[in-house]
Amino acid sequence: MKIVYTDALIVGGGLAGLRSAIATREKGLDTIVISMVPVKRSHSAAAQGGMQASLGNAVMGEGDNEDVHFADTVKGSDWGCDQNVARMFVTTAPKAIRELAAWGVPWNRIGKGPREVIINGEKETIVEKDEAHGLINARDFGGTKKWRTCYTSDATGHTMLYAVANEALRRNVEIHDKKEAISIIHENGICGGVVARDLISGELIAYIAKGTMIATGGYGRIYKQSTNAIICKGVGVAIALETGIVQLGNMEAVQFHPTPIVPSGILLTEGCRGDGGVLRDKDGYRFMPDYEPEKKELASRDVVSRRMIEHIRKGKGVKSPYGDHLWLDISILGREHIEKNLHDVQDISKTFNGIDPADEGEKGWMPVLPMQHYSMGGIRVKPTGESTTMKGLFCSGEAACWDLHGFNRLGGNSVSEAVVAGMIVGEYFASYCKETHLTTNTFTIQKFLEVQKAYLQEILSYDGGKNIFDIKDRMRIIMQEKVGVFRNGKDLSDAVDELEDLLKMVKEITVTDKALCINPELNEAYRVTKMLKLALCVSKGALERTESRGAHFREDYTKRDDENWLNRTITTWTDPNDTMPTLSYEEIDISKMEMPPAFRGYGKKGAIMSNPLSEIREEEITKIKETLGKVDRFTTQEALLDFDLPKEYKRKNERMGVGYD
Amino acid sequence: MPQQDSTVELLTGKDSVGKKSKIPARLDLLQSATGLILSFFIIFHIVFESSILFGKAAMYRLTKIFEGEPFIEGGEPLIISALAFGIFVIFIFHALLAMRKFPSSYKEYQRYRTQSKMLKHSDTNLWFIQITTGFVMMFLGSIHLYTMMTQPENIGPYASSDRIYSDIAWPMYLILLISVVLHTGVGVYRLIIKWGWFDGSNPRANRIRSKKIIQAVVVVYLVLGLLSLGTYMKIGYDHQEEYGNRYSEVHK
Amino acid sequence: MIDQENQEVSNEEEFRKIEITVFRYNPQNSNTKPEYQTYTLEETPGMTLYIALIKIWSTMDHNISFDFVCRAGICGSCSMVVNGKPRLACKTRTSEFEDGKITLLPLPTFKHIKDLSVDTGNWMNAMSKKVESWIHAKEETDITAIEKPVEPDVAQAVFELDRCIECGICLAACSTKIMKEDFVGAVGLNRTARFAIDPHDERSDEDFYELIGDDNGVFGCMSLMGCEDHCPKDLPLQTKIAYMRRKMVKM
Repeated sequence: MKIVYTDALIVGGGLAGLRSAIATREKGLDTIVISMVPVKRSHSAAAQGGMQASLGNAVMGEGDNEDVHFADTVKGSDWGCDQNVARMFVTTAPKAIRELAAWGVPWNRIGKGPREVIINGEKETIVEKDEAHGLINARDFGGTKKWRTCYTSDATGHTMLYAVANEALRRNVEIHDKKEAISIIHENGICGGVVARDLISGELIAYIAKGTMIATGGYGRIYKQSTNAIICKGVGVAIALETGIVQLGNMEAVQFHPTPIVPSGILLTEGCRGDGGVLRDKDGYRFMPDYEPEKKELASRDVVSRRMIEHIRKGKGVKSPYGDHLWLDISILGREHIEKNLHDVQDISKTFNGIDPADEGEKGWMPVLPMQHYSMGGIRVKPTGESTTMKGLFCSGEAACWDLHGFNRLGGNSVSEAVVAGMIVGEYFASYCKETHLTTNTFTIQKFLEVQKAYLQEILSYDGGKNIFDIKDRMRIIMQEKVGVFRNGKDLSDAVDELEDLLKMVKEITVTDKALCINPELNEAYRVTKMLKLALCVSKGALERTESRGAHFREDYTKRDDENWLNRTITTWTDPNDTMPTLSYEEIDISKMEMPPAFRGYGKKGAIMSNPLSEIREEEITKIKETLGKVDRFTTQEALLDFDLPKEYKRKNERMGVGYD
Repeated sequence: MPQQDSTVELLTGKDSVGKKSKIPARLDLLQSATGLILSFFIIFHIVFESSILFGKAAMYRLTKIFEGEPFIEGGEPLIISALAFGIFVIFIFHALLAMRKFPSSYKEYQRYRTQSKMLKHSDTNLWFIQITTGFVMMFLGSIHLYTMMTQPENIGPYASSDRIYSDIAWPMYLILLISVVLHTGVGVYRLIIKWGWFDGSNPRANRIRSKKIIQAVVVVYLVLGLLSLGTYMKIGYDHQEEYGNRYSEVHK
Repeated sequence: MIDQENQEVSNEEEFRKIEITVFRYNPQNSNTKPEYQTYTLEETPGMTLYIALIKIWSTMDHNISFDFVCRAGICGSCSMVVNGKPRLACKTRTSEFEDGKITLLPLPTFKHIKDLSVDTGNWMNAMSKKVESWIHAKEETDITAIEKPVEPDVAQAVFELDRCIECGICLAACSTKIMKEDFVGAVGLNRTARFAIDPHDERSDEDFYELIGDDNGVFGCMSLMGCEDHCPKDLPLQTKIAYMRRKMVKM
């Protein structure tokens, strides 16, 4: 029995996990990060376009502040987010980016004077102020009022992850890579750590800590077409589900990104459109202005993805051996801009498709199609990041349903959430670890280890002749075809049935190699089982939610239904022998909202069934504002929604020209 | 006390104030500097030696100039001795410095060779040429330099030719010539890259350009050297009956 | 429908067969010996080594080990030796090889895990610590205040060097590293150059000398340019190592 004791245990070494590890080390806690892959290979590195933070340095971002960022995020989420969390987030984001700047992230900087940009397909000249020279620049992204997305070319996630990982190394965070957490150890509703499998020796190790954090990212790989790295299987989320206690939130909220390249599914950043790139159909026609006259290509991702599929369904897609697709045209930005600010996009397109996007005209157009990109759902946590139902289990980043994104995440808010959650949740997590004692007794630890040992042996003893790879492929096809951008009751119900069958079928596989040590087939066998459970949570949640909100779109219930569905789907797996998740719902309280539900400003108009409470709250807000009279924006904000944040992060942010106002 | 400092370094790897030794920096620079001096020497040496292509008289005059004839009546071969000694010292020093980089065990050699054969990378292969020719020169170069130091008077159209032909020194000179030209060429190219001398605004293009120029120069020098060696052989062959006779301008 | 891993295309074309030979060895299992195994498969259009290996794994040999993460040339996981050259497998198209014969070996100089899988993470972490791959500033930053301005060109220059993905290819292509285990390699030297030009970092040349001023550092480099010529991110390693060398000999 191998047991490793530490103060703080973090599962997952991406931006959220590593930033949290820094927070625990700052409090002097012994910290171990376990990761399936070397931490700098985490999927955070693949984030390209940028990080949202309302600095308001660039002339096109002037007037930006927490309030504008908050409003964009809430609208983007289609009012599904927790506004309390959104406030915490927007207040901390400028601090996060400045901290990262001090840690050396080479953010693109503003050069004073005129520069040429492409806006709405036209060349325009903007003039940057002298005092902004050398400050952090921003580009335009979908669903935002201001240019707010700060970037390092199109390798933003990479530079951020490296800076944070290096800072973690500097603080002697212990990194154990090639280890995979396969079960959560808990007792009396308190989390004690995890059982991890050494992916080389196969050894099972119990990591025991005062507090445990899951930061394992999303579960995009349950879909056939996904921009996600192949490690994004959601194992961290699944082991939380398997405790039977921990709740998952909004699993059906799955984002489809408009512009992955066809056929490889590798992402081309939203920065392509943010910088002025446009979408074209088989006739070379720019169709988005017809659907979204105001935001055009830069409506939120859910909207653009739907419009694209809609347009393809009208027969306007480009035929290819891989099915229909559309074109992304960035050649209008000019070679110099592409080679400097969209370097990786060019590299990807050249390598995988033999297309140089800087070539003028049709020759440089890249084939794109919406594909799975982000998991808004995840482990349901309180604003502190602690599980709503299990003490001592924290979660941050994409793996969490903290609920910053509701039913649709804005581009640029993911890496931003990852580091901001790493700071905030990291801080709460560190405080928790500091104040608690180890309680898990060794008997419990041994029991959990033995259960996993027996489970792996059981998998190796299955002898039904079926193949885990076939089951996986089938699952991914079902998710792709039946739980995709457009959903309907019949397909969803078929999907749920078939996924349940697949889950039962896992016991009929045969694993050819019986080795417990490094054995990629055995890995796949237990991972696919966990993925199937998540796929069931997604499909069942989607089936039951008879409305359309954000990325969840029902062809049979096309309206957003605030009266019946302004809530969060909560999923649990109450019994290990169950083959179906248990669903319940958590109301979202309009009366506590700073911004009650309304029209987003993009997407189909008149597709909302409003809740009368929205109007009441709106009136209430007007009244509060009247009573307050002339006060600064912070006072108003606090009167509408008072949120908690560690003191350091609650401080006001300074901005050019306005100081701390 | 230096004695104490080196003891501290022995025990801690750092000097008495906890700093790393600056010796490696000096050694790295010296390796390049000695190499550069030797390169200049060779560049001129082969040109001077090829004066034989312009006839015995030209070569004789040049030799006399090196013996200081304009200032000393009849020339003083000891000047050559001194020059050879100076070069010998630099040569030994350069060899000593360069040896630091050689594979120092079977394991290192095996790993290096297998990897470079797998990699088929031209600059890596060039290094194999460099260490092989360097190793060859450690012996042949030493012999040559020793001869020059001890018998400086035996330089001249006939004296040199006799040595090359009748004393059967030509196989050594042939190998030495090829080694020294290749080693110098590769070495100078390496220096350009190592210190970024001609990076300019496009270092990658300039690296290719440097390489091409050096390749051309190496070919020219090999041709020049081989022609000269051939000429000495021819003179030596014709002169074998009069072995030991020295050239003098009176012969003309 | 698109299938990224299986790349089933709807038209019924005849594709050529390719042979992929893989170095197989599991050091964890004392009963196995190193051997080469050849797989023959149909080459689909646009096939990369990622697609080919996933196909081999899921349909021909479930036990073969290799490392992929992003499959887009961004994460640096899938470095391996392809017909003698260290490369990122995900960015290598099989159509490049005219005779259709491809031999894959694990990356040398790193600890071998199994088949094509090696341990790069621990080495890279140790390297990062060795060259203190982080900003050294004397004063703490107030993260609520406006950030320190940086010249746009300088930020761009730092970014150029920050693009390194620690894939290990520069080390596998380096004769020094192959002989001297403790050499920090181009990845380490480039990292110091990156911090040396970063205006946030207050380290002096003397400080850098303490990190790379020996034969395991910049003076170990023999300028054979294996790193420069194989770097999948086209980093300017030649000029940056020279830059650090010029600085360091001045000490």
